[in-house]
Amino acid sequence: MKRFLERFYIAIIFIFLYAPIVMLMVLSFNNSRTRAKWGGFTTGWYRALFQNQAIMEALYNTLFIAIVSSVIATIIGTITCIALSNMKSHSRTVLLGINNIPMLNADIVTGISLMLLFISFGFRFGMHTILLAHITFNIPYVILNVMPKFRQLNPNTYEAALDLGASPVYAFFKVIFPDILPGILSGFLMAFTMSLDDFVITHFTKGAGVDTLSTKIYTEVRKGIKPEMYALSTIIFATVFVLLLFINLAPAKKEKQIISKEKRHTLPQKAVAFAVISILVISTLIYSNLSKDKEGGQVIVYNWGEYLDPEALKIFQEETGIEVIYDEYETNENMYPKIESGAAEYDIVCPSDYMIQKMIEKDLLAQIDFSNIPNIKNIDSNYMEQSKEFDPDNKYSVPYCVGTVGILYNKSMVTESIDSWDVLWDKQYADNILMQDSVRDAFMVALKKLGYSMNSTNEKELEEAKEALIEQKPLTQAYVVDQVRDKMIGNEAAIGVIYSGEAIYSQRENENLEYVIPKEGTNVWIDSWCILKNAPNKENAEKFINFLCRPDIALMNFEYITYSTPNAEARKLIEDEDIRNSQIAFPDLSQYNNLETYQYLGEDADYIYNELWKEIKSK
Amino acid sequence: MKSRHSKWLSMPFLAWSILFILIPLFMIFYYGFVDKSGQFTTENILSIMKPEHLKALGLSILLSMIATIICLILAYPLSMILSRLGVNQNSFIVLIFILPMWMNFLLRTLAWQTLLEKTGVINSILSFLHLPALNIINTPYAIILGMVYNFLPFMVLPIYNSLIKLDKDVINAARDLGANGVQTFIKVIFPLTLPGVISGITMVFIPALTTFVISNLLGGSKILLIGNVIEQEFTHASNWNLGSGLSLIMMIFIIISMGASTIFDKNGEAGLI
Repeated sequence: MKRFLERFYIAIIFIFLYAPIVMLMVLSFNNSRTRAKWGGFTTGWYRALFQNQAIMEALYNTLFIAIVSSVIATIIGTITCIALSNMKSHSRTVLLGINNIPMLNADIVTGISLMLLFISFGFRFGMHTILLAHITFNIPYVILNVMPKFRQLNPNTYEAALDLGASPVYAFFKVIFPDILPGILSGFLMAFTMSLDDFVITHFTKGAGVDTLSTKIYTEVRKGIKPEMYALSTIIFATVFVLLLFINLAPAKKEKQIISKEKRHTLPQKAVAFAVISILVISTLIYSNLSKDKEGGQVIVYNWGEYLDPEALKIFQEETGIEVIYDEYETNENMYPKIESGAAEYDIVCPSDYMIQKMIEKDLLAQIDFSNIPNIKNIDSNYMEQSKEFDPDNKYSVPYCVGTVGILYNKSMVTESIDSWDVLWDKQYADNILMQDSVRDAFMVALKKLGYSMNSTNEKELEEAKEALIEQKPLTQAYVVDQVRDKMIGNEAAIGVIYSGEAIYSQRENENLEYVIPKEGTNVWIDSWCILKNAPNKENAEKFINFLCRPDIALMNFEYITYSTPNAEARKLIEDEDIRNSQIAFPDLSQYNNLETYQYLGEDADYIYNELWKEIKSK
Repeated sequence: MKSRHSKWLSMPFLAWSILFILIPLFMIFYYGFVDKSGQFTTENILSIMKPEHLKALGLSILLSMIATIICLILAYPLSMILSRLGVNQNSFIVLIFILPMWMNFLLRTLAWQTLLEKTGVINSILSFLHLPALNIINTPYAIILGMVYNFLPFMVLPIYNSLIKLDKDVINAARDLGANGVQTFIKVIFPLTLPGVISGITMVFIPALTTFVISNLLGGSKILLIGNVIEQEFTHASNWNLGSGLSLIMMIFIIISMGASTIFDKNGEAGLI
């Protein structure tokens, strides 16, 4: 009975630990791009995975960084443990205390402080800065694992070896090393795992175009995780799991024999050695396929995650011979400090409206020479006009994606017709409302509902908006950014505040969904290409922007991202009549009142918005 | 191992930690004690007294304490069962607990969202069995679940580690001297594994205290934890001074827990593995 209970308990814990993993595995066979819907069984993502060069390159980087950083950390950590074991207990406590800092500090603090350090030392950001950061947070795990093994050592054996004439180094490798080896290996394994899983620190210390799997996954969050990622995770997991089973089951026959102490150690040893070797082999194989050639110089692009068809990049490289170094970010706010600090060199970025204004004010952008961008004529003049709200003379930016913010509702749950922000305060939809989890978007809704400007800096108006949002909070199911789409497709909520680009996609997946622009007015947002003041390849940057304004390329990107293109010529090329004439994708802006675009309100106003937002969130 | 030279062996680590741990830490100190114009101020530190920050901190402490206690309650019996399984399975058991971490943290947490949602997998199964629905997504309960899930291995491994190192003779001696199972556990086993328990508590409590991803994804961003505040200051509000100030407050907790673990674990014996 007791035995059964024990087994049962272990089983429960394992179900708990592995349920999400099974979930991810199932999703990797899901023939639908959204996790909210089961679209039938497919192995297509696995095929797509191996053709996706960006993911393969990220996989290589991840393994390379994980292996190199954990090997170096293991060496430094082990040497340190030798020293620690000989120290007075006072100085040992101090050192172990320092050792604990990176492990216990919040990732974001470690990440930003390392970024500041690299900037002040004038390091160029790239693979090596990630390596330094990873070694730093890996060393503690090694020390934590090796140290206890030193405590268990019998010091007399080492003394004996010395007495018998062995040199200290020889004695170390013959006597001590075999005994601490299990600790070293588990420290290595732990370090490897931590390096594999890290995102925040990597994000702040990486250079342009160096992506790991984690940073790739996070930049994908905004547009929804690509199923290829589930497939890759499943492969990694399955490989390691099979390896483990193989290694642990194989020697099971010998179990009956008395296992000598030495033999015990060979088990994890073999396991780790085998794993490392196979990973190295796989990764070199992958990397050898990723040869590159540079001819016509390069251009370094910093764009939102999933915001450009990779096919378009290939065409550009083929046509011009210019190599594109492509890097992605998740939010305007994550992008800004990297640009401002000059941590990494970029030529082109794609910020949103208010951020462009801020970057102009901070003198980070270069004026664009429009004589080099003849294709600007394809851009709808309405959007050039709208851009003047943040770029008054149309000197710094070329619109790339545009859209509105509106309400997406599920007709099977909402029977009335919706035309006002007021519905978000309607009690009958309690727990069925999804709000945007960003300061400006949330305040935009409240300010517009109250009839104020969404760029208000009037404290009384902001206070009213805050009260309205606090009143609304109990009715909201969640504040979300990227998951509105998946949740609405999956019938999780009845009403959601959403970007028009996501609305088109959501309707394709769930036909009950309807999108409206409320009558009180809303935000017209514009993401535009800008060239940075210190761009090393300004000419190539202009060529790239001109290329993106070509109708066929703009169309290609529209079909890939589903966010509306301001490119009027591209719109004419859309074959599907419903989409070409879609009021969601291409609204006639003159029909609506009170449309506005976000402006940069200055540091003081930003501070007020953020403080009020925290008050709302903490209620 | 006593040799004059071995002291020099700590030099690489010392140099490394001064460069990459202490100097960055000093920078956080600097940012925490100045305002945007570079003038000295204690405002960033004192802003922890603002009601919304205090509430966030209080809630973080409460949730991570609950998560830590649940982890301990789950992990201790588990480690005891596992420790009896036999020596040659050690590496396998350890790896089985580390293995989930090879799937990306964000993906794992997103998977919980898919499992827990109103129309999610668990509720579909429950409604198929005509059982009442489980509505914990976007509540503090889901956050606790996420914490327990992500940090449980950090509790299991040190406890398991100290249990397998336990001298069997000590337990047998207690039994021979007439102690029953419960007494042996309370008087002998538990005190001897205390370093492992403390190290587990630290390894769960601190990351749970500073998390923001879990509360965003499973709490629907409706619940503001101190980690969210710091993250918001750094990434959305671009107010590094306030973010640094609040991080310094968090460091106080880290120092306390470090102090606690040195008291209970004088020799640094409770390794993770």
